[in-house]
Amino acid sequence: MANKAPDIQPLVAWFKSNDWKPFPFQKKAWTSFLKGYNGIVNAPTGSGKTYSLLLPVLAPFTHEKKTPKGLQLIWITPIRALAKEIKISAERAINGLGLEWTVGIRTGDTELNARQKQITRPPQILITTPESLHIILSSKKSRSILEECHSIVVDEWHELVGSKRGVQTELFISYQRAMKPDLKVWGISATIGNLEEAMDVLLGPDQSRKRILIRSKIKKKITVKTLFPRRIEKYPWAGHLGIRMLEKVVPIIQESNSTLIFTNTRAQCEIWYQKLLDAEPSLAGIMAMHHGSISSEVRAWVEEALYSGKMKAVVCTSSLDLGVDFRPVETIIQIGSPKGVARFIQRAGRSGHQPGATSKIYFVPTHTLEIAESAALRQAIKLNMIEQRIPYIRSWDVLTQYLVTLAVGGGFYETKIYDQVKNTFSYSSMEKEEWQSLLHSLTYGSQSLKAYDEYQRVGITNDGKYLINNRSMAQRHRLSIGTIMSDGMVRVQFQRGRSLGSVEEWFIAQLTPGDAFWFAGQPLEFIRLNGMVAYVKKSKKKTTRIPSYMGGRLSLSTEVSTVLRDKLYEYHEGTVKDIEMKKLVPLFDMQKERSALPNKDDFLMEYFQSTEGYHLVMYPFEGRAVHEGIAALIARRIAREIPISFSIAMNDYGFELLSDQYMDVDSLINQELFSTKNLAEDIQASINAVEMARRRFRDIACISGLIFTGYPGKMKKNRHLQSSAQLLFEVFKDYESDNLLYLQTHEEVMTFQLEEVRMRHALQRIQNQNLKIQKPERPTPLSFPIIVDRLSRDKLTSESIEDRVLKMKIMLEK
Amino acid sequence: MHLEFKFKGQDFLLLPDKAIYWKQEEALLIADLHLGKITHFRKAGIPLPTEPEQKNWANLSKLIHTWEPKQILLLGDLFHSDYNNQWQKFCEITEIYNDTKWILIKGNHDILGKQAYELSNMEICPSSLEMGPFLLTHEPTECPEDMYNLCGHIHPGVRLIGTARQSLRLPIFYFGEKFGILPAFGAFTGLHIIQPEETDEIFIITKNEVMNASALIDSNT
Repeated sequence: MANKAPDIQPLVAWFKSNDWKPFPFQKKAWTSFLKGYNGIVNAPTGSGKTYSLLLPVLAPFTHEKKTPKGLQLIWITPIRALAKEIKISAERAINGLGLEWTVGIRTGDTELNARQKQITRPPQILITTPESLHIILSSKKSRSILEECHSIVVDEWHELVGSKRGVQTELFISYQRAMKPDLKVWGISATIGNLEEAMDVLLGPDQSRKRILIRSKIKKKITVKTLFPRRIEKYPWAGHLGIRMLEKVVPIIQESNSTLIFTNTRAQCEIWYQKLLDAEPSLAGIMAMHHGSISSEVRAWVEEALYSGKMKAVVCTSSLDLGVDFRPVETIIQIGSPKGVARFIQRAGRSGHQPGATSKIYFVPTHTLEIAESAALRQAIKLNMIEQRIPYIRSWDVLTQYLVTLAVGGGFYETKIYDQVKNTFSYSSMEKEEWQSLLHSLTYGSQSLKAYDEYQRVGITNDGKYLINNRSMAQRHRLSIGTIMSDGMVRVQFQRGRSLGSVEEWFIAQLTPGDAFWFAGQPLEFIRLNGMVAYVKKSKKKTTRIPSYMGGRLSLSTEVSTVLRDKLYEYHEGTVKDIEMKKLVPLFDMQKERSALPNKDDFLMEYFQSTEGYHLVMYPFEGRAVHEGIAALIARRIAREIPISFSIAMNDYGFELLSDQYMDVDSLINQELFSTKNLAEDIQASINAVEMARRRFRDIACISGLIFTGYPGKMKKNRHLQSSAQLLFEVFKDYESDNLLYLQTHEEVMTFQLEEVRMRHALQRIQNQNLKIQKPERPTPLSFPIIVDRLSRDKLTSESIEDRVLKMKIMLEK
Repeated sequence: MHLEFKFKGQDFLLLPDKAIYWKQEEALLIADLHLGKITHFRKAGIPLPTEPEQKNWANLSKLIHTWEPKQILLLGDLFHSDYNNQWQKFCEITEIYNDTKWILIKGNHDILGKQAYELSNMEICPSSLEMGPFLLTHEPTECPEDMYNLCGHIHPGVRLIGTARQSLRLPIFYFGEKFGILPAFGAFTGLHIIQPEETDEIFIITKNEVMNASALIDSNT
């Protein structure tokens, strides 16, 4: 009887009673799950993916109707907002199958008494987030919920796999599997470039577990339509807002019942919302805004209104990439390049939910050259070039946090946990020495054994258990669990108490009481800052001041940049066929007239002088992240030859090395500069030289507990424990540069930012091209957007501080 | 190298070690040492390397050895927070150099108990001390017309900018119209960028040099 096909009849019958017919992928998931497989279901949103993995957990109980004791299934979701919808789906199936299971939700929003009830009487199904699971692990009492659970489903795994929350998920699974060796683990994922790898990350390196990747055949049709500026020759060469396109966007909103307008940053979202209202006052009341800094209540309200079809338009950011199906949404507008194919498809897929319907997405360029990206995206979709999600490996910050979580939640024994951790994808390459270093750091405050001082964190009991008994330390740890860090966020709140959301601390710091700023779609007057709360009232003043948020500058993916280069080359080959590229021909003509347009055989560089200094601009067309690496590398290799200081800027098409002194580029620039010889060491040195790693350190410091972001209201007591990530970074750089957390920042820069592999490919490509240095008399269409960038510049110097000081002035503001 | 600076009829040597040697009084002026800061973090379970703490001791000893001051005037934030074993270490130093007179003008971080301070044999001024033409305090303070305030607390620094979008942030000695601010001495302390007036005197501290940068202040930037 052992090989008998599992009984999915009750599930089919229930589908039939609803007039549904299971998709082949659903049936396959049901039988595979029941045969004891682990795996991944690859299916788009709104295709019935939830039931593909929820139902087989219920199936064995449909005959006996006896409710099993204890938790049967943990359903992990990356966003809280999805939990409710999944609960409704689950309850519908439970009722339909005549079962009496309960479904619980446990997220940061769950009330304390509901959580406690879950401990005394665990639900059969628990819908939760990776962070909440780690909080469960941080208390001996709550850990008891997990005892019976034999199945885990991770929803939207493609969102988690390329993040540290994915690592958290891996660690949790390793813990649960140690308790339940026959644990079944499944993921649900949209299409990404490395699905097989994503499955290995979820299931771990032990290939003896039966695994299967089930792909649904459901494919969505997508139409991409570019909105062109009225007079393309007058459209700006640089910019990221695209406000001039307002007149083209408004009619599209009006013609559609419900539209989502995606922007790339929160500031852009605020501005577009404000400008749309100005341009079309009739949208007031039926248009809303949705981004990550707006309070969760307001966001929930917007989502609800979208769901029920009450919203004509919502201006949003990636905050609506995921989440509930908004069936009423008919039209999608993307302002500015989404930079990646997967993101673009995901957003397009927010419309056209009816089976077989075509998703239509409008692309609104924010500067002239961006028009080309629309053509590149369309081509990439056609060729099914979807980006990979690179998994985080060897994240010592997450492991440190996890070990402290275990130490707080009743303690752990070293060998047992070592084996569990070592059997995850993320830590499979961990060396025993590295593990020892981490433990030493936790117990003695140093990776190497040193003389006793007053360091206190994790203690070791006589029988070798690692334990934290200190209650306040435990409390502090629980509050800081999580890997998504808010970067010194200040809550914005009306005096009467309603919270509007949060903005970064530095933005509030530059306001004086009485100043007006625009936030959450309305003008506000700043009254005062109290702890981490900014009190505001409504303002009548017109203002253009809008909180901007650091970071969040996306880089063009390999897939898009590859296609984009090919599109440019079409100009030379005379094979231009996309409407977008045809419209750009006059711009390309001008670029060619002033300098040259990149082609397959030549690597284009431009060198010219302006009042600012000497600009050396190069155009690899590899995306800003890779450009940051190549720029630092080239700058360092030049600065090795002559004492010089560079200010470095980049965009997705190229980068600039700006200096105050002339260089003889014809002799200094040669193929040696682009050599891949000693590349690894040279990249490392240039990362150090421009201090790229420093920016990544804050996250790592927060996750591993070096920085305590604190509980609001109790700031004062902890003030003496505050330090900036920058200061900490300096201390490690100067005194403990072999610290694993410090080294991790460099590894992350290499893997996720510079993408060493991609950089190597780019340099090899350049080495096969002729170096072509143009000396234009004026900035070109290609160079202009780069040289006007005043923010986010890197610096590299080989001059002494004293020499540099003598050439400078002390900056006075105003 | 240090830099000589005549000020209010007194001879100051501005030291790249972020302290002032005052010739007439044979005194070292030091502000914001934040001793014990690393240990304070470590006690709370934050595993920082202990070296910056060692560096503070080394810098302090070196200063005393080099200048053999008759008195050491500490302008507040001597110790970072609650008591820890680094205080004992400090007391050993005051014991070794007990022919030097140690005076602490308390700052907002100096919250140790009476006993601890007694152990150090320092003279303690709760808020200020008059010496020569100067009113010594921790935080910038209004003082009588005929006096000039010298203080710490701010951890002053400036941002320099040059052509081709060059910029630098460096610690400074600041001498304004009403008060002068010393740089923070401690190894694990931050920098606060100030906006000097054109009439102020500013001395920039590079790694081994002190440079007069008053002429670099430019309100036209």
